[in-house]
Amino acid sequence: MPVAASAIYFLNLRGDVLINRLYRDDVGGNMVDAFRMHIMQTKELGTCPVRQIGGCSFFYMRISNVYIVIVVSSNANVACAFKFVVEAVALFKSYFGGAFDEDAIRNNFVLIYELLDEIMDFGYPQNLSPEILKLYITQEGVRSPFSSKKPVPNATLQVTGAVGWRREGLAYKKNEVFLDIVESVNLLMSSKGSVLRCDVTGKILMKCFLSGMPDLKLGLNDKIGLEKESQLKNRPTKRYHGKTIELDDVTFHQCVNLTRFNSEKTVSFVPPDGEFELMKYRITEGVNLPFRVLPTIKELGRTRMEVNVKVKSVFGAKMFALGVVIKIPVPKQTAKTSFQVTSGRAKYNASIDCLVWKIRKFPGQTEPTLSAEIELISTIAEKKSWTRPPIQMEFQVPMFTASGLRVRFLKVWEKSGYNTVEWVRYITKAGSYEVRC
Amino acid sequence: MDSAATSFSSSTPSPVDYIVLLILRPIAAISFVFVFIALGWLLAWKLVLVHVPLVQEIFGLRKKPAKFKPQTRRISRYYNSINTRNSSAPGSGYPPVLVQCCHSSSIAIIKPNYSRVAISHLWSSLEPPSNRIRLLCSTFSQAMAPPAQSSRNPSPSQPSGKGEVSDLRSQLRQLAGSRAPGVDDAKRELFKKVISYMTIGIDVSSLFGEMVMCSVTPDIVLKKMCYLYVGNYAKVNPDLALLTINFLQRDCKDQDPMIRGLALRSLSSLRVANLVEYLVGPLGSGLKDNNAYVRTVAVMGALKLYHISASTCLDADFPAVLKHLMLNDSESQVVANCLSALQEIWNSESSTSEEAAREKEGLISKPFIYYLLNRLREFNEWGQCLVLELVAKYVPSDTNENFDIMNLLEDRLQHANGAVVLATIKVFLQLTLSMADVHQEVYERIKAPLLTLVSSGSPEQSYAVLSHLHLLVMRAPYLFTSDYKHFYCQYNEPSYVKKLKLEMLTAVANESNTYEIVTELCEYAANVYVAIARESIRAVGKIALQQYDVNAIVDRLLQFLEMEKDYVTAEALVLVKDLLRKYPQWSHDCIAVVGNISSKNVQEPKAKAALIWMLGEYAQDMDDAPYILESLAENWEDDAPEVRLHLLTAIMKCFFRRPPETQKALGIALAAGLSDFHQDVHDRALFYYRLLQYDVSSAERVVNPPKQAVSVFADTQSNEIKDRIFDEFNSLSIVYQKPSYMFTDKDHRGPFEFSDEIDNLTVGVESEHVVAATSVDANETSDLLLSTSEKEETRAMVANGSDYTAPFYDSSTPALPSQGQSELAITGLLGTADPGPQASTAIDDLLMGLDLTAPPAPASAPPPLKLNARAALDAGSFQRTWRELPVAISQECELGSQGAAALTSPQALLHHMQGNSIQCIASGGQSPNFKFFFFAQKAYEPSVFLVECKINTSTTKAQLNIKAEDQSTSHEFLALFQSALSRFGLS
Repeated sequence: MPVAASAIYFLNLRGDVLINRLYRDDVGGNMVDAFRMHIMQTKELGTCPVRQIGGCSFFYMRISNVYIVIVVSSNANVACAFKFVVEAVALFKSYFGGAFDEDAIRNNFVLIYELLDEIMDFGYPQNLSPEILKLYITQEGVRSPFSSKKPVPNATLQVTGAVGWRREGLAYKKNEVFLDIVESVNLLMSSKGSVLRCDVTGKILMKCFLSGMPDLKLGLNDKIGLEKESQLKNRPTKRYHGKTIELDDVTFHQCVNLTRFNSEKTVSFVPPDGEFELMKYRITEGVNLPFRVLPTIKELGRTRMEVNVKVKSVFGAKMFALGVVIKIPVPKQTAKTSFQVTSGRAKYNASIDCLVWKIRKFPGQTEPTLSAEIELISTIAEKKSWTRPPIQMEFQVPMFTASGLRVRFLKVWEKSGYNTVEWVRYITKAGSYEVRC
Repeated sequence: MDSAATSFSSSTPSPVDYIVLLILRPIAAISFVFVFIALGWLLAWKLVLVHVPLVQEIFGLRKKPAKFKPQTRRISRYYNSINTRNSSAPGSGYPPVLVQCCHSSSIAIIKPNYSRVAISHLWSSLEPPSNRIRLLCSTFSQAMAPPAQSSRNPSPSQPSGKGEVSDLRSQLRQLAGSRAPGVDDAKRELFKKVISYMTIGIDVSSLFGEMVMCSVTPDIVLKKMCYLYVGNYAKVNPDLALLTINFLQRDCKDQDPMIRGLALRSLSSLRVANLVEYLVGPLGSGLKDNNAYVRTVAVMGALKLYHISASTCLDADFPAVLKHLMLNDSESQVVANCLSALQEIWNSESSTSEEAAREKEGLISKPFIYYLLNRLREFNEWGQCLVLELVAKYVPSDTNENFDIMNLLEDRLQHANGAVVLATIKVFLQLTLSMADVHQEVYERIKAPLLTLVSSGSPEQSYAVLSHLHLLVMRAPYLFTSDYKHFYCQYNEPSYVKKLKLEMLTAVANESNTYEIVTELCEYAANVYVAIARESIRAVGKIALQQYDVNAIVDRLLQFLEMEKDYVTAEALVLVKDLLRKYPQWSHDCIAVVGNISSKNVQEPKAKAALIWMLGEYAQDMDDAPYILESLAENWEDDAPEVRLHLLTAIMKCFFRRPPETQKALGIALAAGLSDFHQDVHDRALFYYRLLQYDVSSAERVVNPPKQAVSVFADTQSNEIKDRIFDEFNSLSIVYQKPSYMFTDKDHRGPFEFSDEIDNLTVGVESEHVVAATSVDANETSDLLLSTSEKEETRAMVANGSDYTAPFYDSSTPALPSQGQSELAITGLLGTADPGPQASTAIDDLLMGLDLTAPPAPASAPPPLKLNARAALDAGSFQRTWRELPVAISQECELGSQGAAALTSPQALLHHMQGNSIQCIASGGQSPNFKFFFFAQKAYEPSVFLVECKINTSTTKAQLNIKAEDQSTSHEFLALFQSALSRFGLS
């Protein structure tokens, strides 16, 4: 059995119960106490998200300042349980309009109870799609058709329907599609500048405001898709000029017709209304790193250090990176820092033991530097060698993709044959961008 | 003129004028002022003051909460009088039902015994809702009486909130009958309050009646809240839950499918066993409902019914209906729910009913699997997980079928839901188990999706996936050798993820990537988290032991030794020791570095033991080895038993290499060892001592034989277990890394079963101790620190040991410490086995005095019961045996006042009993009540004794329940146990 959760709890950081919902009788009522006693009040917290206490297993996840705990008594499916929590949180967020934290839960606990009833029955997950649930569970709480005598919305038809993600009869004055290609670059670079590990995880986010039941088809410049296309057309004449890229792995939203993807390598789908994540992909080969970081750290004696960091932007000169933050770690016993930067602003943040260097707008093909002198408190205790944490970087580069992925076309078919406006944006963010020093 | 006239009149005032002027006017003025003030006060009072709580308090204006009207005697008398008559009330087909029901004035009187039927009858006969409410009120006054009583004396554990609860009660009352326009919103606020109290754990079950009264509403949110409340407290208030049945049953027939579904769900969640009769009807019609939502709910309802009362569910033939739905329903969610319900029902039924077992088999039959696979795409993600889980159990008839299924499912690997991907992977792995080459291809195919899942999502999700990847990597490390970079740790990752990654890095290391991996691991050794740093050093060591070319690694390890961090040094020492056992040729380099490490800087037992082992083993290469050993032996008591054991052995080895320098150390060590309290240390010291006595050269042969390099270190987990875990892919087993029977099966769950009985228990810890102890033992015997010959000797020793450690206590020498006795025993043993003249050498003086007091062995008496001192039993088998065996003896015995005084914590007794070869598997309780579960094993047989022992220290009584596999010896064991227990607290 996939989950068969016996109970689900929402706790705040102190261990107070915000929500508790028992689905089955096979666990005792004092499971929260067990969780508090054996996990929250010990050092165990955070060492492993799956714990066994007594005969029950606890899955817990921390989301902002709330712990969500699922208790099961059988040999449950772990991946399913965590996925359920993540999906449920996404659902709650879409109801609360953004934040999911203790206050939001306290303010909306009745709604959460209602939702928990719908999304899980007797421990088995049911429908979690926000689009459908919003039809019949509203924040105001619909008056029952008893009183209002309005026609019952045919929500229940779709509650269980096959095209569970889209409702029929949508109509928009202006038909628009927004495509966001968001890539995050994960990098681990050694102090000598060699890339230890580098990959890009990208996702294509879509926002649809389309009438009727449109059929969409998306074309990317990935290698397999292009090859397949030229094969199908059986004429190599119309070649795609430019770089083709190789996607290591792709996953799609449930609306994408996977059979068609496998046979024709095209991404075709009937989109849900509103915002959703169309696909995710991962690339390890041929990643264009947007930044190179060249640090030199010298320890001058026991109480002084010299830090020089040069950051080089290697994307097109016409582009800009926004919100660049470079965190350069310094030892705990730092007493005084002084620095010079060629652009941006830097300051010493003692709470995270880092020099934080911020550059709001970072043009391409430039290389600003930071040079800092650090004075340390001399400690009498024997020299504790400082474990140098890596330099971390945050940034966003609009209109740049580290993988080189481009959208070639997005076609929309609908019976009524309306015109659509398509908007495409690219953005590359830093995932965990770390450079050892 | 005018002025003249006035002056005139004023000039001659009359006495009347005087009176008016002097008396009346002032009075009028004063009274006017007073009236004015009074008016002001009145106004203030009316407008402001009456609302001030303090004022209300002073003037007694506060309204008292409406008192609940007690059951009046008049009515009950009336009742009883009716009872004697045989009622012929209209429509009452139930003979003694006493209903007097006036449709217009709506007075309902119900006799408690027949209340259930009466209410349901009344209910349907009362048409205007207001009448129904009144009916409810009167019913409550009856049913509420006992709970109201109990709520007046709340239990001390109940959290505060009493006042609020009664406040809520009165407010709910006011709203109950009201039909004012804004009343629904007010009710909502109140209901919210009630539910928030319920959530934080305040007991609001006393409001049950009021809540139900208020739930007569068309508002769906109110209904939901009320149902939530009812579902929560129905179990504790079964009688009151009955009242809700009518609402729910009526709602089950509502025209709105949402309300039908909702009502049906709540009805089936009441979980009150004696109300199931009301559930069958609505469920039956729910399953046939033309709306899919109601059907999905009804299917789950049937499953809930099965859990409340299996027989009712089976009698109503719901499984058959579910099966029909599963095969024919057009809605995928209904099918998915049917599937999960039927799986649960048939799984638990299959052990008793043959038909259910057959049906269960039918679920994985070809037509059914194909039916599901064809509809797979209709299911939502959770439904797909469910179906795929089932498909994984299916065994196709030929390979073509295999490939068909795999082709069909391949696109599922692209699904965004990690659970679906994992379920698909399980299907693939299970289908190809018998086809080695395809199996390998499957690994290649699933690698990419798995790696994607690992790198996306929250750490918890990636942990779940990573555990599965970990399993695969462990099974086929060579397939992942090129992907090692994916297992590099990121700085901010949680430690549980890092730990798994480290293990995988270790596993995938081979000739081509060792250098990179080891370099990376060395980076982690400087990690802030000590646990991870240790783990990474261990990983380096493991790689070193796997590889043939260890040059670079040894250098790195030696660098670790010089890093001057305690934990790094400690871990590195252990590694160097293992390394030397495998590659003795490196001894020269290593010893040079190890020799520089001061033993004072090494505190951890394991590391210290490793250091001592090296000192002993390479005594000839280290100049000051004997002196270091000597200083260690002088501080004998500071070290852990494990270290002392190694110290003994090391000194022996050193002695054979450099006798003159070590003699002093050996003397100290042997003397300290013989008086050691730890059984193993004591035994080993004695053994060496005897061995030296017997023949020095054969002692050398035993202790210090030529060594062979170890080629392979033992694997900790058997292949069978690994395969079992693999079969349970995509479940908790993978995360725990043990098969499910170890943690879900009640038999194996261990002493936690007892947890219900014992508060504040230490069971888990104790049982872990037992397990740990046995595993340590196993390690020790398999520990290759002892050469093979040495090991065999130890084993022989252990066999002997079981002989003499049996606590056979002669009543004549109870004051003797047990240790002295065992020494006597061994002297006797050695004497008979080896009647040589060496028995009285000079060193033997140690034991001289004791020889004289040796008690004569009772040769003629029947062999006394002897227990195995090293008996081992895991919690699971204890549990099983305990269940199987009948109670052999149940007896109460006296503990003795000293014993009771000494029993401040369970641990004290545990140690005492352990000294008597009786092991504890679980204990718990707090003064004065303790509870223990002990077990013991016969010396030469596997037969075990199990004891449940409840001790009350205030009465100094102990209640014993003994179960024995060998019934004939149970009385002897009882005597033994009692004598052991009675000695507790004496020493």
